[in-house]
Amino acid sequence: MVTLDVDVLSPRALNEKLRALMAQGEEVVVENPRSRHNLGVALPGPGHVTFKGSVGYYCGGLSSGGTAVVEGNAGWGIGESMASGFIRVRGSVGQSVGASLRGGTVVVEGDAGPRAGVAQKGGVVVVGGSIGFLSGFMAQRGKLIALGDAADGVGDSLYEGNIFVGGNIHGLGIDAVIIKPTAEEIDEIESIIAEVGMRLEIRDWKKVVAGRKLWYFDKREGQTWLKV
Amino acid sequence: MCGIGGVKLTQPGPIGEELVQMMSALRHRGTDSTGFALYGPWRDDRLIARLRVDNRERLQSKLKEIEAELQNAGGAFVTPPTWDKADNAKDAFVRLEVAPTTDVERVTTAWIALGGVEAHSFGHSLEIVKDVGDAQTVAARHGIRSFTGTHGLGHCRLATETEVDVAHGHPFWARPFPDVSIVHNGQITNYYKSRRLLEQDGYQFSSDNDSELISVFIADQMKHGKSFEEALRYSIGALDGVFTYLLSIPAGIGLAKDRLAIKPMISAKNEQLVVMATEEQAIRQVLREEIATTSYGQSEVVIW
Repeated sequence: MVTLDVDVLSPRALNEKLRALMAQGEEVVVENPRSRHNLGVALPGPGHVTFKGSVGYYCGGLSSGGTAVVEGNAGWGIGESMASGFIRVRGSVGQSVGASLRGGTVVVEGDAGPRAGVAQKGGVVVVGGSIGFLSGFMAQRGKLIALGDAADGVGDSLYEGNIFVGGNIHGLGIDAVIIKPTAEEIDEIESIIAEVGMRLEIRDWKKVVAGRKLWYFDKREGQTWLKV
Repeated sequence: MCGIGGVKLTQPGPIGEELVQMMSALRHRGTDSTGFALYGPWRDDRLIARLRVDNRERLQSKLKEIEAELQNAGGAFVTPPTWDKADNAKDAFVRLEVAPTTDVERVTTAWIALGGVEAHSFGHSLEIVKDVGDAQTVAARHGIRSFTGTHGLGHCRLATETEVDVAHGHPFWARPFPDVSIVHNGQITNYYKSRRLLEQDGYQFSSDNDSELISVFIADQMKHGKSFEEALRYSIGALDGVFTYLLSIPAGIGLAKDRLAIKPMISAKNEQLVVMATEEQAIRQVLREEIATTSYGQSEVVIW
């Protein structure tokens, strides 16, 4: 195990060391993150890193592998554009968790802020608590799973992204519709939840997908466009 | 971008030092200008005015004109004027303690009409200090660190709308309402119309900045009977744009956040203080250890 200290290293120097260690499969502990930005960006596998406290923006973004645990909160864009890998946040996250996520898994044990899974292109985002305003906005692929509630505007302007909500939906985004997930889909999301170590219980799962009215312009549906 | 923050203590304490550290941590969000709205002890027997005179060489003659206009508006100096110690600077930042009988709007208008004078704040408690440069630069020139008080606001600016100069830096004073100040992160798109409506009611603005409009808009709503919270809530529907702002009055600090929830805001508190900022790392300058934080979503209003 190797320890790196954010109080001593600049984010750039820390990231260079962290990448080299993780590529060798090391276990790394990052001390004193103090909510600083850009920690652990572009991480390779197969190593593991633990952040001993809260991190700022873009932690774990652009990563291609490895596993990361944040023992605190994370700011905006955790796991942004990650290709593959696994990130777990013990606390809550700010805006745009898993933005443009391409692969891998981001797990948030607390709540997520606005625009969780915005423009998601693959991978899985699991949020133990609630997801904020406009979550899943324009998601193209992948799964966003919220065990708790979804704030207003969920699934706005969706493409082929899938949003699963275990709690209440406080309002749908434009062109978003709720459908009943199939038994196979519920099995799949419950196995994901069990795999990431979250509590399984009976939930009234709702699946939010695109109503597809925004996909093609039809002047008879002009009202839909006027809301955009 | 822009970074904003505030701190409110249960007992008077080192708000200057805390806000300088917070704004230093947000430096990457803008270094065009940095400013502080500091609430010191309330003084019934005087008003404190903070001014900027653009020509330091002519400061003495300008101060005589300033005193004459003050007397015309029913005021007088309570103590002799003081100013910053940057003797090589082209401009001077003046602090005046004036009699509470002063007609604030009349004297502000008269001072600005002298030419080369900006009125940054007026209040029994409030003092606004702002200048171009980052937090360290501004704190060094203006002695922000030693300031003690109950609460305050900070702002570091990345200009998107109006000029990069001292007059367009934050915080803004809600002229002519003493002790009301604002820091704002965002843009108001319908500010020109709102400003015209307020100008028709007789308000005068000291800059072209949209954020100054918000502070006067809120203070005007409160003057017409709305509570602090009601005025903030009303502004979310009345103002168009993306915004998160902190507005301060002597009783405390209020937050309002727009309908799109773009501009971030996080807060944390313990028994001694509540601290709020655009980014968590600014909060961690005041509360170093791991602490539970609260973040805010769309259309939220909070009063601290």
